Amino acid sequence: MRNMLTVALVLSVLGCRSYQYGHVVKDNQPSMVGSHSAGSEVYDPLVDEAVAKLLGACGSPMSLEISPEGFPVARQVCFVGIENKSAEELADFKDQLYEQIDTQINRSQSFRAISRHMVDVALHETRLRPDSLFIPANRQLFADVLQQQGSPVDYLLYATLTSGTTERNSSSQRDYTLTLELVDTRSGEFTKEQAFIRKGYHRSPLGRLANYNPFTVWR
Amino acid sequence: MRTSLTLRNVRLLQLAFYSLSCLWVIGCATHAHRLALPRDQFFNNQLTAAHTSLEKVVDKARRDRSVAELDLAIIELFNGDAQTAQSRLREVRDRWEHLEQTSLAEQATGYMTDDQRLAYSGEDYEKLLVGVFLTLSDLMQGGIDAESYTLQTIKKHADLIERLQAKSPDESTIAAYRLPAIAPYLRGVLREETHRNYDDALEAYQQAIECWPHLTQLQSDIERVEHGVHSSPGNGVLYVFALVGRGPYKVETTHEVTSEALLVADQIFSALGKYSVPPTLAPVKIPAIACEPKPFEFLGVQINQLPAATTMSITDLNLLAIESFAANQTQVIARAAVRRVLKKGTVYAAKEQLEASSPVASFAMDAMGVLWEASESADTRCWGLLPREIQVARIELPAGIHQLSLEPIILGKPIASAVDVMVEVQDGANTYALSFWPGIAPVGKLLVSHR
Repeated sequence: MRNMLTVALVLSVLGCRSYQYGHVVKDNQPSMVGSHSAGSEVYDPLVDEAVAKLLGACGSPMSLEISPEGFPVARQVCFVGIENKSAEELADFKDQLYEQIDTQINRSQSFRAISRHMVDVALHETRLRPDSLFIPANRQLFADVLQQQGSPVDYLLYATLTSGTTERNSSSQRDYTLTLELVDTRSGEFTKEQAFIRKGYHRSPLGRLANYNPFTVWR
Repeated sequence: MRTSLTLRNVRLLQLAFYSLSCLWVIGCATHAHRLALPRDQFFNNQLTAAHTSLEKVVDKARRDRSVAELDLAIIELFNGDAQTAQSRLREVRDRWEHLEQTSLAEQATGYMTDDQRLAYSGEDYEKLLVGVFLTLSDLMQGGIDAESYTLQTIKKHADLIERLQAKSPDESTIAAYRLPAIAPYLRGVLREETHRNYDDALEAYQQAIECWPHLTQLQSDIERVEHGVHSSPGNGVLYVFALVGRGPYKVETTHEVTSEALLVADQIFSALGKYSVPPTLAPVKIPAIACEPKPFEFLGVQINQLPAATTMSITDLNLLAIESFAANQTQVIARAAVRRVLKKGTVYAAKEQLEASSPVASFAMDAMGVLWEASESADTRCWGLLPREIQVARIELPAGIHQLSLEPIILGKPIASAVDVMVEVQDGANTYALSFWPGIAPVGKLLVSHR
């Protein structure tokens, strides 16, 4: 009888369902690393690096046109969208990446991003697919609509996420690349910059040590 | 003499305690009886009466609360109150998330009685359908959260598969355990409407056709998002969603305990106790899925009194329920087997404790044990106001106000008069119409989305 009571007591104390808790991650704390797919630990640095490279390559204030009043004129960029060609679904990250890239471009002195809502209206009005804007006639039509809305466009910006996977027994390495492509709407010339991150996935905690020996000298 | 009398009194008290314990844990009235009336009222288009009856169930029957609330959400949705329905669905979703964790105390009670004593955390197909109905109810109010709900449903399915793989390595069962095609389809519909994310829409439609290859319309959807656009300039798109027939429900059935289930039961015993128990088991009571046939094949859709399209099945809820139920059946049978052995073991232990060696006492305790085992009933709790099928039609229309008429069709001929509603189609945007047809006439209102 005493045993039964003890068992009942233990079950009632230990066997309850727990609640879920949350906490705010501080700025200086690293992001959580996704165990099955990429997350903010991959996408955030990809965006930062790719945008910085792009701005470094063609965002020099020295190259800007000067207005009649003597001020540099920022170039108008229309961020068309992100194409996901990686092996993983972006799910709710897609719109987040869009906003991050759009905001970082807009913060630079050399470029001014056109409002996403205006871009949506232009796509809606012209019924053009984002990938069809590479055709000069379509690009011109699209730029005309934006111009009519009061947003002349100098460049179109495309982002593409790709991945490559290397398998080794129960471990794998996935290389993520974010490519930003800036297309001049008048000439069709383009500038391309990339950021690249590699990530390993393992079925066991020892998989990391087995595949990425810290004592190996890389050349 | 006095010592002997005292000992006898103690044993009598113990016997009374065991008897009362057995009676306390005997199963209660079944869920199906409590909810039969409100569900019939709903199917007979008495939405207010059904709502009142179900609210009483929510207040009184604690263990039926979740399924009663889901039924209430359906009633509220087709009564035109999508906001309340959505809030109720969210509450059940969150509660079920919490209940997915194992409570050892509750499981122990379940083993001593039956599965109805466990807090109901929903069958896997119901968890997925909560996400689908959250999306549909949100679309009726402008769809601000609809995309999130579609993603949650797809993620939920991935989580369920992962959990199932941990329990059972049978790949064929897991492969048959499909995502309701309407979940990725709705995601495709929403991504296509952005005029920007055609790649996402393509991926979603491809996922939907993998889940439901019978929907030929999906081929044209895939073709459109690969090479075309959402709609021509000046046009919008009307999606007609129809919930057809009465959905799957659970019935009690008996089942021979399979060797696989015995193996699982044995594993549970080995984990719990020091000695193995060799049970000789009679069939156990477990739930099974039942469903009534569809009242008609599909709906004919007319726009401004001209035939425009017919709806096509995008999700068969009966099939979905059968598949997800089959994937978990071994576990259900194993629990029933463990319960049966535990009850026999308890009676045996009680006899040993009370030294009930006399034929009369032994017979009395055996009778109590038999009564205890017979009191078990299968857990037939389920979301009872689901349809058998979800059907859809996509129609591109010029922007403006149109008359939408729906009529049930069998063998190419209408079998009942059409039901009309006015819809406003917006340039470059989606409009959604939703109706529930448990029979040849719809129940409640024919809903149209508004922004």
